[in-house]
Amino acid sequence: MSEPLSLLLSVVIFPSGLFVLALGLALKGVDRRVAARLQRRVGPPLLQPAIDLVKLAQKRTFVPDVACRPVFLAAPLVGVVAMLLAAALVPIPGVYEPDPVLGDLLVLFYLLAVPGVVLMIAGSASGSPFGAVGFSREMMLMLGYEIPIVLVIVAVALRTGQGQGAVITFSLGEIVQYQRTHGAFLFDPIMWPTLLAFSAFLPANLGIIPFDMPEAETEVLEGPLLEYSGPTLGLFRMMSAVRTVVVLALGICLFFPNAPAGIAGLAVWAVKLLVLATAGVTVLRVSVGRKRIDRAFIYFFRWPLAFAVVGLATVVIV
Amino acid sequence: MGLLSRISSRSPWLYRINAGSCNGCDVELATTALIPRFDVERLGCQYCGSPRHADIVLITGPLTVRVKDKVLRLFEEIPDPKVTVAVGICPISGGVFRGSYSICGPVSKYIPIDVDVPGCPPRPQAIIEGIAKAIEVWKERL
Repeated sequence: MSEPLSLLLSVVIFPSGLFVLALGLALKGVDRRVAARLQRRVGPPLLQPAIDLVKLAQKRTFVPDVACRPVFLAAPLVGVVAMLLAAALVPIPGVYEPDPVLGDLLVLFYLLAVPGVVLMIAGSASGSPFGAVGFSREMMLMLGYEIPIVLVIVAVALRTGQGQGAVITFSLGEIVQYQRTHGAFLFDPIMWPTLLAFSAFLPANLGIIPFDMPEAETEVLEGPLLEYSGPTLGLFRMMSAVRTVVVLALGICLFFPNAPAGIAGLAVWAVKLLVLATAGVTVLRVSVGRKRIDRAFIYFFRWPLAFAVVGLATVVIV
Repeated sequence: MGLLSRISSRSPWLYRINAGSCNGCDVELATTALIPRFDVERLGCQYCGSPRHADIVLITGPLTVRVKDKVLRLFEEIPDPKVTVAVGICPISGGVFRGSYSICGPVSKYIPIDVDVPGCPPRPQAIIEGIAKAIEVWKERL
């Protein structure tokens, strides 16, 4: 297969595109189902997120008079495309290794910031005051969690680079390969502070309950999403589904990518994804309440940042 | 009814309007009838914060003079097809506030109501049945 064609396929069908979208929607369905079971309810069918998408696709898109029409309509598209590209960058250990042409960990880091920025732009382009509140909250949250995640990425890259005899490597393929031969970072005590910092980044980037203030429906009426309806809202839902898979898969790549090759590797990866989604997303979001935005901001500058700095320092020193 | 509308009919999103309610019915809606004690989520329902996302509108309260215009404007912003459910006795008849100078209800004078769920407040089971009936009405309008 020619290279441009296989690159295109990796973005449109597998592992990004259709595959990651179906996976993301399935994860959302499992999330809602497990949350319901934890509250002793029956819960919606597993396909509910997909059903919601079908319904949204048939509804009318409404653009407010005060909105900036092109930006308002383009923002969700940019978000979905950025997330699909990001999904093509994350390796599935033993199954899929991204082409270096697509980019490395640094590109992925920038792509991960896109959904937040898109929500900010969407909120301000909609012209609604709630969108503006959502904008400012999203920005504060991003300021909080971006610094720890940079340090986490650098710590992992340094550790891999040192292990290989080089200084630092940002190639996700090499990070996965290194851990598969030398043992996962999950079981490496030197990496534990970094792991803690990453686990605080996870819910904040995904925008789930302790850190969902930008879209809090009881406070700011879903903030940036308030004015969106129909297919555009569906695009935001797709973006959030793909983003869940990307961030969780990044966690697996950075800390525990060990898996056999072939179909078994895919199965192991899916099980890890499911466990991480249940423990890191569902259980967390049903067991705590929403934090206040200023408290969350202080929290990120206190704990995750401290863990990330300690983690980076130990990697540099040891 | 086509396949796509059959699929869509399993995803009714709920929107609550408080038209000057005493909050009793709202508590029933927010904490018992729906998530987390009893479960309408199994019908595919979910609360949405924005009127633009809504399919089924739940109205509580007797429609006081002060909120009338705002409720009507909000109702206009909800896209068709929509189904309206009056939750509690207040939006249906005025309840204990009937005849008061400060209410201009019943709500059905201004807004077409499809399903009535009387009670003060109604039992969660009654609210869930009302929503199930509203879904049936909604299916025909899709």
